[in-house]
Amino acid sequence: MAAVTAAQPRSSKTESYVDNKRKEDIRQANIKAARAVADAVRTSLGPKGMDKMISTANGEVIITNDGATILNKMEVLQPAAKMLVDLSKSQDSAAGDGTTTVVVIAGALLKQCLLLLTNGIHPTVISDSLHKASTKAVDVLTAMAVPLEISDRESLIKSASTSLNSKVVSQYSTLLAPLAVDSVLSVVDPAKPDMVDLRDIKIVKKLGGTVDDTELVKGLVFDKKASHAAGGPTRMENAKIAVIQFQISPPKTDIEQSIVVSDYTQMDRILKEERNYILGMIKKIKATGCNVLLIQKSILRDAVTDLSLHYLAKAKIMVIKDVEREDIEFITKTLNCLPIANIEHFRAEKLGHADLVEEVSLGDGKIVKVTGIKDMGRTTTVLIRGSNQLVIDEAERSLHDALCVVRCLVSKRFLIAGGGAPEIELSRQLGAWSKVLHGMEGYCVRSFAEALEVIPYTLAENAGLNPIAIVTELRNRHAQGEINAGINVRKGQITNILEENVVQPLLVSTSAITLATECVRMILKIDDIVNVRIMKWQSTAKYLLSSRILYGGFFLNFLFCLFVFFSKLCFLVNNETIHMQHAHLTIQALL
Amino acid sequence: MAIEKILKDDASEEKGERARMASFVGAIAITDLVKTTLGPKGMDKILQSTGRGHEVTVTNDGATILKSLHIDNPAAKVLIDISKVQDDEVGDGTTSVVVLAGELLREAEKLVAAKIHPMTIISGYRMAAECARNALLQRVVDNKENAEKFKSDLMKIAMTTLSSKILSQDKEHFAQLAVDAVMRLKGSTNLEAIQIIKKPGGSLKDSFLDEGFILDKKIGLGQPKRIENAKILVANTAMDTDKVKIYGARVRVDSMSKVAEIEGAEKEKMREKVKKILGHGINCFVNRQLIYNFPEELFADAGILAIEHADFDGIERLALVTGGEIASTFDNPESVKLGHCKLIEEIMIGEDKLIHFSGVEMGQACTIVLRGASHHVLDEAERSLHDALCVLSQTVNDTRVLLGGGWPEMVMAKEVDELARKTPGKKSHAIEAFSRALVAIPTIIADNAGLDSADLVAKLRAEHHKEGCNAGIDVISGSVGDMAELGISEAFKVKQAVLLSATEAAEMILRVDEIITCAPRKREDRM
Repeated sequence: MAAVTAAQPRSSKTESYVDNKRKEDIRQANIKAARAVADAVRTSLGPKGMDKMISTANGEVIITNDGATILNKMEVLQPAAKMLVDLSKSQDSAAGDGTTTVVVIAGALLKQCLLLLTNGIHPTVISDSLHKASTKAVDVLTAMAVPLEISDRESLIKSASTSLNSKVVSQYSTLLAPLAVDSVLSVVDPAKPDMVDLRDIKIVKKLGGTVDDTELVKGLVFDKKASHAAGGPTRMENAKIAVIQFQISPPKTDIEQSIVVSDYTQMDRILKEERNYILGMIKKIKATGCNVLLIQKSILRDAVTDLSLHYLAKAKIMVIKDVEREDIEFITKTLNCLPIANIEHFRAEKLGHADLVEEVSLGDGKIVKVTGIKDMGRTTTVLIRGSNQLVIDEAERSLHDALCVVRCLVSKRFLIAGGGAPEIELSRQLGAWSKVLHGMEGYCVRSFAEALEVIPYTLAENAGLNPIAIVTELRNRHAQGEINAGINVRKGQITNILEENVVQPLLVSTSAITLATECVRMILKIDDIVNVRIMKWQSTAKYLLSSRILYGGFFLNFLFCLFVFFSKLCFLVNNETIHMQHAHLTIQALL
Repeated sequence: MAIEKILKDDASEEKGERARMASFVGAIAITDLVKTTLGPKGMDKILQSTGRGHEVTVTNDGATILKSLHIDNPAAKVLIDISKVQDDEVGDGTTSVVVLAGELLREAEKLVAAKIHPMTIISGYRMAAECARNALLQRVVDNKENAEKFKSDLMKIAMTTLSSKILSQDKEHFAQLAVDAVMRLKGSTNLEAIQIIKKPGGSLKDSFLDEGFILDKKIGLGQPKRIENAKILVANTAMDTDKVKIYGARVRVDSMSKVAEIEGAEKEKMREKVKKILGHGINCFVNRQLIYNFPEELFADAGILAIEHADFDGIERLALVTGGEIASTFDNPESVKLGHCKLIEEIMIGEDKLIHFSGVEMGQACTIVLRGASHHVLDEAERSLHDALCVLSQTVNDTRVLLGGGWPEMVMAKEVDELARKTPGKKSHAIEAFSRALVAIPTIIADNAGLDSADLVAKLRAEHHKEGCNAGIDVISGSVGDMAELGISEAFKVKQAVLLSATEAAEMILRVDEIITCAPRKREDRM
């Protein structure tokens, strides 16, 4: 019986030897779902695109214009729709900008594919033609591009502001664009001129003020107060900075320990010893001339105690505590110093030097700024201000996009016109090319060309212009050889878009085309969705871990170890196990 | 009439006709599920997990699809198993083997309906399989002697394997990668030495082969980023204080200074351990577990490159390729085997920094870095490349090569047909059925490509009536073409494995006349 019932849901397929209905259905469903996703973000394209308000499950509200963020928060379930979400993520990591464009193009391509499929063209034929068309498209784009010198700051700023113009913070683009350019240029390593590691640019967000107050800091900014507990200094000139990874607090061993006190005098002695111990440490620190301490956060014990803060204040040492471990690398790189993990190794040569470390009040909060760093590493910090959290978050996302745009230009030094000009030119050239191709290919390439018109069409539509009039006019201008004619959204007409300073990096356009095609081809090739069960070891182990914290019984302990052991056996969770062991240790320490 | 229950509650049994029906239905359902992925124009499947997160995998690999299915039908499970075995043994042909077994069962179903005893069918199938194998053996090409030709054979095989996968657009590039990697192995089938690293970003074309080993980790702070003539100690040891791991162990002291002393002693222990490690005369230390801040600083002071938190896989491979051993105690420096390599340096791939070990002891070792738009693409690319690597490494040992594109099936079918005509008795029907099942493979390839399979296969059969013909299905142009000219080749070992294991599986399922489903073991609720 069991066997028959198991086969039941699939029985329709066993008979369907010639029946392709199901495959068609799956394909249709996939394409429809993916297009629904594309339609959802379509209206946010371009400088006059609208924003979306997303209210997440836990009540948080996000307002954004960034395609990748919108899609990321949408929590789609349909597999094909999910692939579109991944597509915009890929664009985000490849180029950083154009995350909406890529999804809109994919949606338009799918629409055309549906038409081709209903005409009875085999999906693999469509898929191969799309690949060809996209390779050709990249060639066309490259031919259109204008080379750029990295020293040409003006052009870099132009393209950064094109990216910023479509965002909520567009009115600040005159401020943010040069900021983005300067910060990227300052982290470019002359040894490797086409590599930019955006991790070298730290973005610190602080509520209060307006976006106007956003600034580039040549140095470090901590979103933390200097420790005030005992009236320590909050401003230090000629600072000698130490980054320490040990704690200035009474000693604590890894083995459990208890101090047995049997009488009153002993207690006194213990207190005195504690004071001496801390004082000894601080003396050693002072001896090296250090006057600013950055202390790494510790979960096992207090990084500093009131007592040690008091002594540090007495010794005129400024203290910033609770520095995250992940930040240590950035900090040491910036300050050109080494982290110190033990008091015995506290030596003067491990310190970093800066002209000024000071605490600055900003609105209601305070930050610590380190400026005038000697031998500063190639890093930079941007301090973003804004009147509310939503604005700050959106400003950060926009700035990230702008930074990515500049990075693209650094690694691939070509500019291309914006405003729909490249898309319409592609559409025109591919359309012409399709006429020389034979058979199905020509037909498919023509559809590809038509699909690309969606970008200028949507741009015009979002700007409240008459899309059909604009697109036909644009087509006309391009046919006459004005390859840089594009939609000027502000004026509501067609102009030479290069003269309007609307430019974007070539990499954004090419990667949007290739990624969108790749994704569409993948969706086309799918003819079935199979539900599968994943191995549950990982999730079960995690579940047990969490319940362990709650109940902490012996039995659970045993089960947990068993699971960890099992999952090791299964070679399933290489990294996971290590993390879990790690967590395991931490919990042991806590209990 | 109360027949006493023999089986437990929940257990069930099915007999004779019904049992066989259940097997056939299950096996054929599985076949139909994967058969659309066959051939260069085969389609992909989405695997959507029902677990948390609803993760999505897109794949064309038969073994991957079948492995992820959860299925109760016993016959279907047998098919899944043979595809797994095929994957382990030769790496490719995982879909073909299931399809062939399914087609054999489909034919057997008709024969059983025509009142032919399963045993007769089985013996007919056996004869046919033997005959088909001999037919293939007669037509194999072996270019072992001619290194140049053999290499081009390998290229062709790799391209044929890859052409049905996601890598088909860049198949030449990847075939070259795979062939280079396998040639480095010099005949060993140890694919462990070929490491595949996936890095999102870039496009598939940016993938490359690199000699040596790449570890996706970071070098500790303040440590050298480049070491020549490295002596590497690979270890799996806890670098925090060696804790007394007895529950409830604790120390009692009566003053703060003693606590400080103990803390100092703990630190001293760590320092001792680091000293012992340094005593090995190394300049690179790789640990499976975390190296905490304190030892990290000690290593940095000693100018040693320390890498923490390398995963199991990384550690084992690193030990393998550098010729070292994984150490966990450091008391006897002379007994620990150190790994060696010419150069360790930090490199950038995409946006990430990785550590590159070049000039490693084990010359065969190499790394293939895959680049691609998304994780789906990368995962699928890895699976495809893995298939190609498996097939190639098998071919290096067994250098016999066949043509592809349905050619071997047609050759076999022709011989098996001959045999059927010569064999008297009921077996002849079974042998004939076997030949029909073989022809089903080119039929499916043509069907998947949206071609007129009936027409094409008939043409192909006519072509094959001539002696020494090389005709197969040319899916690209949609006609019958010369496989030797098109450069479509397959490894003999793969075909043989497909033929034999499919026949065996079909045989096994045919023998079944009763299915007993045992009562599920009662499990206590966990919480």
